[in-house]
Amino acid sequence: MDNNFSKPQRESALGIVIMGAHMMLKIGKATFFLFVIAFVKMSGTSFAYLMLGIAAIIVFSFIFAYLWYLKFTFFLDQEKQEFVVNKGIFNRDQVIIQLDKIQQVNINQNILQKIIGVYGLKIDTAGAHGEEVSIKAIDETSAYILKEHLLNRETITATEGKIELDNEKTAEAPFLKISSWTLFKVGLTSNYGQSLALIVAFFYTVIYEGRQLLDAFKINKDQIQSTVTGMLTIVTIFILVACLLIVLLIVNLVRTFYKYFELEISEHSNTLLLSSGLIAKKNTLVSPTKVQITKYSQNYFQKKLNMLNLSLKQAHFGQSKKGHEMQGNTLEIPGCNAAERDELLKMILGKVPLKEKTFIPDWRFLNLPIFFKLIVPVSIFLIITFNVPELKPYIGFSIAYLIIGILMIYISYRRHRISVSQDFIVKTSGIWDIANEIVMPNKIQSITTFQYPWHKSVDVGHLTLHTAAGQIHFKYGNYTEIKQLVNYWLYQVENRNESWM
Amino acid sequence: MSSDISFTNETVNLEHLPKYEEVLLKQPHSSYWKIICINLVIFFVLLGIGTGSLLLFVNEIKPNAVWIVPLYFILTAVFFLLFRLSFKKRGYAIRTHDVIYKSGVIAESTTIVPLNRIQHIELNEGLFSRMYKLGSLQLFTAGGQTGHIHISGIAIDEAKNIRDLLLKKLELLENPTTETEA
Repeated sequence: MDNNFSKPQRESALGIVIMGAHMMLKIGKATFFLFVIAFVKMSGTSFAYLMLGIAAIIVFSFIFAYLWYLKFTFFLDQEKQEFVVNKGIFNRDQVIIQLDKIQQVNINQNILQKIIGVYGLKIDTAGAHGEEVSIKAIDETSAYILKEHLLNRETITATEGKIELDNEKTAEAPFLKISSWTLFKVGLTSNYGQSLALIVAFFYTVIYEGRQLLDAFKINKDQIQSTVTGMLTIVTIFILVACLLIVLLIVNLVRTFYKYFELEISEHSNTLLLSSGLIAKKNTLVSPTKVQITKYSQNYFQKKLNMLNLSLKQAHFGQSKKGHEMQGNTLEIPGCNAAERDELLKMILGKVPLKEKTFIPDWRFLNLPIFFKLIVPVSIFLIITFNVPELKPYIGFSIAYLIIGILMIYISYRRHRISVSQDFIVKTSGIWDIANEIVMPNKIQSITTFQYPWHKSVDVGHLTLHTAAGQIHFKYGNYTEIKQLVNYWLYQVENRNESWM
Repeated sequence: MSSDISFTNETVNLEHLPKYEEVLLKQPHSSYWKIICINLVIFFVLLGIGTGSLLLFVNEIKPNAVWIVPLYFILTAVFFLLFRLSFKKRGYAIRTHDVIYKSGVIAESTTIVPLNRIQHIELNEGLFSRMYKLGSLQLFTAGGQTGHIHISGIAIDEAKNIRDLLLKKLELLENPTTETEA
């Protein structure tokens, strides 16, 4: 087999099948409604036409796939350190990716690819336009060799023979494995927010559709409404809430298992290989130097279970890469314990960061949130209540809201701190999930400090560190200290001239 | 990587580091205030024409003129005042290793971009800016929208000089790395 990819080569011939199926799916999706209409209004004779149409689509898809396969070539330019892809059936497109701009390489397998026995390979770059390359069919060994070439340009240029050695050595000895039991615990304790959003979206569509149905069948809405309100006693509300909680937990569990099943992390000559997934197995490779922000978080339950969630944030650029791309640039490792976390941190950052000097915010941190989130809404509520007597019994709620709100804001104030050592900046924050974000000074892109004029006399100010993977804020700190820190970080960034990618 | 032999690592005295907050900042060119005024006047004349024609031709709105007209003038005054304040507060400085930009009407915010983190530089000249020979300079980093610096109202010659200076420094910074790569 051609091992060094220096000559232009096609992907696996089985790619025709993958591409054909992909194309068929695309056309199928686009013309789905046409077919539905055809089915509904079909008379006997047109059935043949319908079949003919489907056949035409299949044939067209495969011809397209075959042409696409013929024209799709890729190779590695060793001298220029570039990965070149030629594609396009009618127009020639050439995508050139500089190897040092590659962020991560994903090796995936969907169901069809699993059946046929090929892998898909995706290259994520830090390009401003977010252009990406996706090879749809490649056999396993080639995929891994290619990925090794793409991510480890230094070893390629230095010692050609070493790669083989590395390949054998890394006969997959994962240093971290998340067992199903841990995953179960993760599912029970984290990511409620996302699952909740999922359920809310689900119920919203159900209620919306339900209403449409009621309208369609002309069922009397008032009748239903009265029965529903009749059912709403205290007991049923409790049962309903309990059911919702259970559903939430189950959804959370299923999501966790689907995403992180058999999560394994292994080290491949300076890169991290993460693989996980229940149905479609996802392999992701990251080189530790490209991780911008390393974050671990833990809530109360997880602390009791000695468990935390780690996430690695990589650079994302501009607006061209929207929502999902940004998610794709954050790698989540749920459910590792403290020792495993330290091991991973050592791999990514070189050593475990120490919290040497900790800076805490001023008590004025509390003022704005308490005013805008508590005092303003509660006073508006009270004003309305005094004018609308029906609301009087609910005054207790506003008091509860006030107390819980003060408690939460106070906790967030107590947690909000930044620790600085020579090599690391650790920002701690959170109310329930306590997150620690670790940045190395050389990952800082720019720094902003700002101060309100009324804080000048008390020497309080704010700090924002801009990195390629997002910002880190430290609010209401001692402004003299902040300025000193900024000068120190600027010195570090400008003096060492280390690259951030 | 490249200089591992001559590497020394002395403790840094935080007190003696150069202080960004004490750097003398340069103010935007005085004609930039004229450009701000031109823009504001255009905006308020258009707004005035709009509200004026509404007041004249729509009978239902006419009784409201009592408060709309004073509001319009108050708004104009407030805008001019705010922009004047923000114009006064702006300042920039180019140091050997970074660019400092200070701005803000109420809160004073200072952004510092180290030269070795600049991704690219943009020099823009608007229609009115060209009349007064001014330009605006934008420095982009990988830190996204919030992490970049936009300095407006620099004399065009100075802006071009700064751009060339920065580009030269960027090349100097990048050259050693490209040499090791090749």
